[in-house]
Amino acid sequence: MKTSFVVFLRRNLAFAKLAIVSNLEYRLNYFVDAVLQPTITTGIEMLLWFAVFAGAATTEIAGFGREYYLSYALWGAFFARICTSWMYESRMIQEIDTGSINSLLTRPMSYYEYYFSQLMGYKLITTLVSMLVPVIVILIFDLPTHFKRLPLAFALEFYYLILVHSISFVVASSAFYLNKVHSFTGAKNLALWFFTGELFPLDLIPEPLRSTLIALPFSAGVYVPVGYITGRLEVSSVWQSFISITIAIVIVNSIGAVIWRKGLKVYAGTGA
Amino acid sequence: MAIVIETKDLTRVYKTYQKPEGFLNSLRGFVNRKYDSKTALNKTTLQIESGQIIGLVGANGAGKTTLLKMLSGLVTPTSGDALVLGYRPWERKNEFLRQISILLGQKNQLWWDISPMDSYALLARIYDLDPSAARKRVEYLASMLQCTHVLHTQLRRLSLGERMKMEIIGALLHEPRVLFLDEPTIGLDIVAQQTIREFLEQYVKEKGPTVILTSHYMDDIAKLAHKLLLISKGSIVYQGTVPDFVAKANTELAESEEVDFEDVIRRFLETESRVR
Repeated sequence: MKTSFVVFLRRNLAFAKLAIVSNLEYRLNYFVDAVLQPTITTGIEMLLWFAVFAGAATTEIAGFGREYYLSYALWGAFFARICTSWMYESRMIQEIDTGSINSLLTRPMSYYEYYFSQLMGYKLITTLVSMLVPVIVILIFDLPTHFKRLPLAFALEFYYLILVHSISFVVASSAFYLNKVHSFTGAKNLALWFFTGELFPLDLIPEPLRSTLIALPFSAGVYVPVGYITGRLEVSSVWQSFISITIAIVIVNSIGAVIWRKGLKVYAGTGA
Repeated sequence: MAIVIETKDLTRVYKTYQKPEGFLNSLRGFVNRKYDSKTALNKTTLQIESGQIIGLVGANGAGKTTLLKMLSGLVTPTSGDALVLGYRPWERKNEFLRQISILLGQKNQLWWDISPMDSYALLARIYDLDPSAARKRVEYLASMLQCTHVLHTQLRRLSLGERMKMEIIGALLHEPRVLFLDEPTIGLDIVAQQTIREFLEQYVKEKGPTVILTSHYMDDIAKLAHKLLLISKGSIVYQGTVPDFVAKANTELAESEEVDFEDVIRRFLETESRVR
């Protein structure tokens, strides 16, 4: 007899496949999303660091040379795209706002797992496709990268995605009360642009803010994995990030569970 | 016959933001909002036996969909209680959700960006069905509904009638014991309405699920429903069979006058709209 865990796994694998199948239905949109966008972002961020070093007429900033910053910008843009959730968070909000969630609420599954597995499936396939961009650039420009460290960095990144999705769940659940909450996603992602270290390495920020920002779980989005593979950080920072993400997941999901439960009580089954 | 749906004093009150028209009132409403309470369903008590098609009829806003949504677990009541197949619907236990299905005629339940066949494969996983058995069942239902040719076309490319047939297959794939149908024939042409009506009639005869059906097309109710629930301003005002309802209406009319089911309902809805 099948255990409920096997059923759960198969179901979630099917959700992950759904994300891949539905995205591949629109080939050009997917190509722009998975290849063109990361190429443009990478180009912009690398150009920025070229300009900074050229303008400052220096060979080092905070003990690291230009190649380290170019490598950080390259991998940073790549990791930032993995750890940001625009599309699925917007869909989650819209489904609650418009009442499309009705078809999910009446099926034997949870809203959280449904979107979590889709997010993971989508991120996995997009990561594999768009990784071509940084790898090619690294090889062409011979930028510092510890390729052996990539698996642990990716493990941290995908663990961080659980927190990303949990935050999306909290934001989306607030749509039960407020309907239109897309601005929350914008404000949150803008803040995370800074907190994750996508904008620049967090160790450039002066103390005491620097230690605080690095200790927060959000640094696991970009700064820690990228710092680790480019040689700015050692493995101990990665383990610390795993711990801070775990604590944050517990806290955020507790908040999410309360907002979700109360939200369902006020939900009017919008539409139809 | 066993009782599958039971409600006691089921009530739902909606709180809605009231904004007088105009720009200044929008500004005022930004800081100080006024809310109004509306009772969508008022102390509804009913019992429904298994294997029947129940026609739920009422004017727009009478509370039909709210009742349907409460019984399917989408909406939590403000007060009162209900049991469907022995479960409190709004607790949304998986064992309960595996045995019901809801089809909202004005909303898609299947996935817009993929083909119905891909949707059914996903539903088979969600309901933990054997994939090959699910495929056979899809083929069987599709042949009954005469829509096998569109099973592999992306849902968004289908006509309304084809889409509704696909939705019906999706709703029946896991053989639900209770089926909630909210206006399943809305917007369809006469032929499609007829096909769906005949299909439902045959399906209920074969499988015997309990069906709660709302429709603004009285033909749906008259031809399919074993029992009628008439709802007005959030309260059930009639429970019984369609022929009894018509007979009762005719006894209240002058001797020279005789009406059919559609006439009685039309008169009822006209009275409703006047006193609203």
